Amino acid sequence: MSVASSTSASSVSSGGRLAAGPAWGFALLATTMGFAFHLWFIFTKTPEAQAAAGGFAQKIFYFHVPSAYALYLSGVVCFVASCLYLLRPTNARDAWAKAGAETAVVFGLMVLTSGPLWAKKAWGVYWTWDPRLTTLLLSVLLYLAMVLLRRFTGDGNAERRFAAAFGVLGTTLLPIIHYSVRLWGGNHPTVVTKGGGGLGSAAMSQALGMGFVTMTALAVVLLLLRARVALSESRLREAEELAYGLGVLGADDEAPGERSPS
Amino acid sequence: MNQDAAPPAPSALSVSDRKSEFVPVSGGQETTSAVGLLLTAYVLMWAVVFGFVWLTAGKQKRLDARLRDVEKALARLDETSTEA
Repeated sequence: MSVASSTSASSVSSGGRLAAGPAWGFALLATTMGFAFHLWFIFTKTPEAQAAAGGFAQKIFYFHVPSAYALYLSGVVCFVASCLYLLRPTNARDAWAKAGAETAVVFGLMVLTSGPLWAKKAWGVYWTWDPRLTTLLLSVLLYLAMVLLRRFTGDGNAERRFAAAFGVLGTTLLPIIHYSVRLWGGNHPTVVTKGGGGLGSAAMSQALGMGFVTMTALAVVLLLLRARVALSESRLREAEELAYGLGVLGADDEAPGERSPS
Repeated sequence: MNQDAAPPAPSALSVSDRKSEFVPVSGGQETTSAVGLLLTAYVLMWAVVFGFVWLTAGKQKRLDARLRDVEKALARLDETSTEA
């Protein structure tokens, strides 16, 4: 691939740098300790729910719901960064959009693995084409499409803009997922939303609240981690293209545009 | 089949019944272990997170290797320009 054709994304500005150092280490430690405490609290302080809610398996709820919330959070990051990228492209905005989609897939997989296992106990089946389950699956598939698009196509401006459009589209599904139970009914519980009976014990509410805090911390850590890697990759690619242009990198070196996707 | 009728005893089912329908003999409660499901859910959820972190570490490693290539190339250029 020629230098000219492989530098289609290098016209965008680099954008800002992402923080690192002691704050990063502290965030990782705090998140790990938060999850350890959360697990301890769930299994020692939180009572078992009624059999119709899954009994002991209902404890999946304390990770399942916060994971869904973290999916929303990642989706919002992807949406905002994608919109900003479409308005004015920078490497940082592209990195955040990419990181948002990737973490949305991770949290989506967490929801889609934990939910069916809980449903097996509470509903008797692993999966049902309930409106919320179906819209969530569609949303995760859309984010997965965005990730795969970035993984297997080039990193040119056109690919980035196309992925950003996907990021905007994927996030428009999130309010539909959230309100699908109210709009179309279905089997999915509405315990903590309007019209639900709520959690029958203060410890249950505390465990759920803790889940939201720890999952937010995990989402922030994963988003920062992936955005840093994506931004480093963009900057490295620009440096490689410049080095090829100057003739510094030889013919035996693999051209940036011809590298296997990483 | 009449829904109000009591389910027949297992011994009363013929071979063809066993092939065409399943009748609960103890009220049809879900018998999957709650502990097993909970454990599987927690293991799978954390496997997703650790898998993602592991993939990220691999990507970072590949980026480091590419960065070393660029640094070596720049060092060669620096040596050439100094000799000249």
